[in-house]
Amino acid sequence: MQFLDSFVQKLHDTFIEGDRWHYLTDGLKTTLIVTFFAALLGIVLGFLTAIVRSTHDKTGKLTILDLIAKLYLTVIRGTPVVVQLLIIYFVIFASVNIPKTVVAIMAFGLNSGAYVAEIVRSGIMSIDGGQFEAGASLGMNYPKTMLYIILPQALRNILPALANEFIVLLKETSVAGYIALTDLTRGGDIIRSATYEAFLPLIAVAVIYLVMVVALSRLVGLLERRLARSDRG
Amino acid sequence: MMKKTISVLTASVLLALSLSACSSVPANTVHSADDLTGKTIACQLGTTGYIFAGDIEGATVEGYNKGADAVQALVQGKADAVIIDSEPAKVFVSKNSSLTILEDPFAVEEYAIAYKKGNDELGSQIDEALTALKADGTLDAITAHWIGDEADYVSYTPDASVSRDGKIVMATNAEFPPYESKEGDQIVGIDADMMRAVCDKLGKELVIEDMAFDSIIAAVDSGKADVGVAGMTVTEERKQNVSFTQGYATTTQVIIVRKD
Repeated sequence: MQFLDSFVQKLHDTFIEGDRWHYLTDGLKTTLIVTFFAALLGIVLGFLTAIVRSTHDKTGKLTILDLIAKLYLTVIRGTPVVVQLLIIYFVIFASVNIPKTVVAIMAFGLNSGAYVAEIVRSGIMSIDGGQFEAGASLGMNYPKTMLYIILPQALRNILPALANEFIVLLKETSVAGYIALTDLTRGGDIIRSATYEAFLPLIAVAVIYLVMVVALSRLVGLLERRLARSDRG
Repeated sequence: MMKKTISVLTASVLLALSLSACSSVPANTVHSADDLTGKTIACQLGTTGYIFAGDIEGATVEGYNKGADAVQALVQGKADAVIIDSEPAKVFVSKNSSLTILEDPFAVEEYAIAYKKGNDELGSQIDEALTALKADGTLDAITAHWIGDEADYVSYTPDASVSRDGKIVMATNAEFPPYESKEGDQIVGIDADMMRAVCDKLGKELVIEDMAFDSIIAAVDSGKADVGVAGMTVTEERKQNVSFTQGYATTTQVIIVRKD
């Protein structure tokens, strides 16, 4: 009974006292905004990079663009995202005061784009070369073949890997606190630093991430099933 | 191939540099504690400065992992002021010519050593050792090595003749000069030296664990560390979770701003 009382007291101190639950809801909002726009940026960058890379691999054109794409992949995949975040905040925007949310979106979007690029490229390369020839024999040029024949088939193959990347991205945004951006994790940290109680804030934060990831996986499962319906093979 | 890579790399670095140089830092707008209303204040998460800043009307408080990150944000114009303990503030200002400390202190407070609630045996032993170190001038001598014009930054040498039985694990956050900071793989500073002297008195071996400031009380409370020594002020909230020894240093919270 005494245990229950002290637990209820801790619940009260952690979430109710001083409206501390606001830190979690505000943090969640920031996490969602950052993840959503970073994912968008990542998709755009990733697809562009992948198309450049695979076009170069298949046709030998776009040498310079391919070089830039390779450099981007090497630098981004070769350094930790926390370091990239700090570089963007403290070095690149050293004296420009732009909102931290934008900094985080840029950092995580740039980071995610590199991984998306390799996933998409693997999808494009997985499509049989005969499909390009089929496109050509129908009188389609290279961009049209890519857009209408290759990419739709590739997308279905890479959907699970792509979903996985966005789940990773969602969890990776938890380092946004390094630039004092109050995301979900930092929201929990702020509560922890006010109550000196580690259990409840950390477990609450973990549960919220878990719920988001499970929901995201479910959505992707639905989408995969929907796409499978049109699969005759 | 290599040449091209290098030229692309150089171009992107130049682009980044030009971007960072093209805008200037806004002028200082904080000249006293009253000016803090509605401003952006950078602090270290979990410190008393952070707690105090939260009480300022309309202010946006940003909690960084380190005091140095908060100061960096101030230098770059991302924040209007930093509230932090006076001694670390002096170190930061001495290393950043564009900063200055406001004359009037924000708050006066006292540092003490935190230990697990109920572990009064250890608490009273450390208390006695502290009383002795104050009486024989050891504590003043240690402080003089790290603060003031005479500071030579020489660490306390533990007494080799003491026979040691057991150890004391000290949790700290080595980002807080001159109380604690890293030098090579050593943690140096007033708190580390004071605890070495305390361990000499108690016949214990000192083990220092470096961690985030806001994890120290949890570490002491859960028994992962025996004591928390990190320039920690006694506050009511902290007292609900850990016990404190007598104070060993009086300090002030100050406001750092950019020079006019």
